[in-house]
Amino acid sequence: MSKIQDAITELRHAPGVRGAAVVTSDGLVAAASLSTGLDPDVIAGLASYLMMTTNRSLSEGHYPACTRLLLNATHGKAVFVSLDDSYLIVLFDQFAEVAQADREVDETVARIRRASRLA
Amino acid sequence: MHLIQRMKIWKELRRLEQRAKEQPSPSTFVDLGQVYINLDLHDKAESMAEDGLALFPKSIELRQLLDCARRGLRNRRVQDLRARLTRSPNPKVYRELATILVDLGDNGALQALCQEWSLRFPDDAGCWLVLGQARLTSFYRDLAAREGHEAVECLRRAVTMDPADQQARRLLGEVLYRVGAVQEAQQHIEALRQLDPADQEVEALLSHVARLPDRGTDVDALFDDVETHGSLLHPSLHAAAPAPTADRTLGSVREGLGHVAQLDGVEKATFIRGSKALVKGAIRDGRDPFLRIVRVTAKAAHRFSRRLDIGSASKTVVEGEFGRICICVYGEALAAAQCRPGTDTESVLAELQEIVAGALHGAEEQA
Repeated sequence: MSKIQDAITELRHAPGVRGAAVVTSDGLVAAASLSTGLDPDVIAGLASYLMMTTNRSLSEGHYPACTRLLLNATHGKAVFVSLDDSYLIVLFDQFAEVAQADREVDETVARIRRASRLA
Repeated sequence: MHLIQRMKIWKELRRLEQRAKEQPSPSTFVDLGQVYINLDLHDKAESMAEDGLALFPKSIELRQLLDCARRGLRNRRVQDLRARLTRSPNPKVYRELATILVDLGDNGALQALCQEWSLRFPDDAGCWLVLGQARLTSFYRDLAAREGHEAVECLRRAVTMDPADQQARRLLGEVLYRVGAVQEAQQHIEALRQLDPADQEVEALLSHVARLPDRGTDVDALFDDVETHGSLLHPSLHAAAPAPTADRTLGSVREGLGHVAQLDGVEKATFIRGSKALVKGAIRDGRDPFLRIVRVTAKAAHRFSRRLDIGSASKTVVEGEFGRICICVYGEALAAAQCRPGTDTESVLAELQEIVAGALHGAEEQA
């Protein structure tokens, strides 16, 4: 678990990242590193709702599941990456270039997957 | 209120005021406004909601706060006016109080007030006009024959008592021609023209009504017909006027969608507004799952961002083995496209943004 937490904490230091978390598909926080003012439980619940809703509508339409979701809002951005039974959520500020952090996000995903397999 | 409780509330208020200044967001403004309302400071809550709406004009919560604050202010004004009426009743105060009750939608209180008004000032036509307006609002909302009949009765009474009352004549003329009593309506609009010969709108209304077929003078039967069919017989002047902006907007949206569908890698594209959707590309019909996926995901993304206080979700990209679904939303308008893997989503999103912004601009022009 500490390896996942380490990967998240490291990602948190990437430019523009306000926080990162790994949450299970039923909305429980597995690991989180967030800036102050962001509640991990709230983020986990909301992320689970968004991913579950999207995936349900995809499966009802006979589409394969979502592997990655990018959300661009007025005051912030978010990236959701599907792991096996969980999601990685990365929150950015509104000025961040998400594409520039793609490499860090992909590396973190690989590290989390490795750590989960070892566990 | 207990002194310690009061001190706690003021402390909380100062903390929220500070937070609203440092981290302005709809929820901080709403929290602060709520405290003001709890303290009965509706004027402060109103200005807080207005400040918030200047920064976040599309926030539904802030509009609700503004509505709640104004309702509180109106209720206080109602109490003041009632006290004034008890001391020295006069038609002007009755009119102001009745108008506020109409705004508040308190029909029971309005009915009682108008009764009192007509008893104290039997020669004042104002009470019948206000009552007629309130009934007319209900009629246009529910299309209930009884409301329409009572509205016409009140307005006829107002016109008989004060034949120079332009507002009563206008409202009466309009409801009459819309249910089919065109001839009687024409008489009222003609009288309106004589009262103000320079009014261009009356002139336009008269020529609009002249083109409509008359369905007789039995107004009660006409109201019953409206209730049975659930629609008014004739359109209003504004509804009958051609809407060139709407056609132009639709044309540009269609053109924009065509452009998106031609981009390399794009399989299907749609523009959705309310329950209507325009589609391009490989979409079978209105039940194509792509349309539902787009709607559901856009709604969930919007809810996610609002709850997280990061504003409105404007662009969303869903990736999977199917490729990518790009969604762009502004206000009520939504444009989306499904692309094959490896498509340049940046250019697709830029095109979708153009479509949505164009549609939004068209809607604002229309408004």
